[in-house]
Amino acid sequence: MQTTTARDLGLIRCETCGKLAFDVDHDGYEEHCPRCHGHMHMRATNSLARTWSLLITAAILYIPANILPIMTVTYFGSGTPDTIMSGIIQLLQHGSYPVAAVIFIASILVPLLKMVALLILLLSVQFKWVLDDRQRTRMYRAVELVGRWSMLDMFVIALLVALVNYGSIAHIVSGPGATAFGSVVVLTMLAATTFDARLIWDKQRTDD
Amino acid sequence: MLTSIPGNWIACKDCDLLLERVATPPGGKALCPRCENPLYQYREQGIERTLALAITGLLLFIPANLLPVMSLQLIGQETSTTIYEGSLVLFREGLYWTALLVFSASVVIPLCKLLLMLFVSGYLYLGRSSPLLPYAMRYYHHIDEWGMLEVYMLSVLVAVVKLKGMASVIPDIGLYCFIGLLLVTTLMSSLLDHDAVWQQIEHGQGRSPA
Repeated sequence: MQTTTARDLGLIRCETCGKLAFDVDHDGYEEHCPRCHGHMHMRATNSLARTWSLLITAAILYIPANILPIMTVTYFGSGTPDTIMSGIIQLLQHGSYPVAAVIFIASILVPLLKMVALLILLLSVQFKWVLDDRQRTRMYRAVELVGRWSMLDMFVIALLVALVNYGSIAHIVSGPGATAFGSVVVLTMLAATTFDARLIWDKQRTDD
Repeated sequence: MLTSIPGNWIACKDCDLLLERVATPPGGKALCPRCENPLYQYREQGIERTLALAITGLLLFIPANLLPVMSLQLIGQETSTTIYEGSLVLFREGLYWTALLVFSASVVIPLCKLLLMLFVSGYLYLGRSSPLLPYAMRYYHHIDEWGMLEVYMLSVLVAVVKLKGMASVIPDIGLYCFIGLLLVTTLMSSLLDHDAVWQQIEHGQGRSPA
């Protein structure tokens, strides 16, 4: 199989439009893409450092996101603050297993697995672990693909606070956990964007 | 050493492998042989389809956002909500950042995506070029993954189940428009071949090459 990369021939691929251009001054950077006029980088700038910082921030915020209440349901005077997990447990008690499973996957499992996957990718590139490159690229694409689904709970909260507004009889108010959780989703999505998957394959060349 | 880059060369987004573009059958998709990343796909009348979907999407966008999606009945009282209303309530409760996030992902970005695609595919369909085309396509690329209508749809279903025990929930006309909008935007995103659109912008040719 032919394994010439664009970089081997001194070519930069525009990350926005895919256009190839010469890296004229051999610094891995071109001011303007000839097609879309965006900046061109041989590899994303400080990809590892940026992804690390976004990932660590997300991991820290993951704690308040799960401890603080995301909303408070007041029903006939008695109000109970709900965290993500307690909301899932309530759904289980009511017998809504499919919905409980959906929320568990979208709000707990996906953010957690995403952070673990990014951690493995970062560590493996940083310390040049010998792992299957194709598998790691697949993992990266999975992280990119599923990230958005964690926004599910944010939309549910937005719908519930707007719908359930009956004063003292029934009332739902959002909580600070929602902000923390929203930040986790956004930060992990940004971390997936700043990670340059080509770094996985670059390593292989220097090792040969 | 190379002096010019052959026009049919491309590099894989995820592994930087240098490849030559080959002809794919209609509906076919080219994958990177090394990392299996989808490189490009060939769609017949891609621009025409994108234009049609963008117009349909914009038409559906208005009722989907202005009409209530759900009503809730509890002890004889009825409340209803539209898509943007949830963000407004969150904003009033002081969760500005969350409100902004929900509003962007469910209203602003889907609208921007439709408008940008109307502009790009409209110009390409008419065979006209504009210096703004590369910018429009670039912004589309950057905001693409932040429009989350399909996630919103699932959250409507979850909200219905959560409220089931408390009150009766009635789907409203806005919800049907929203489902239509969701189908149209999902089709538009999945049928769009970025590589082909960029090539057409570059060569200034309107209709897709035979």
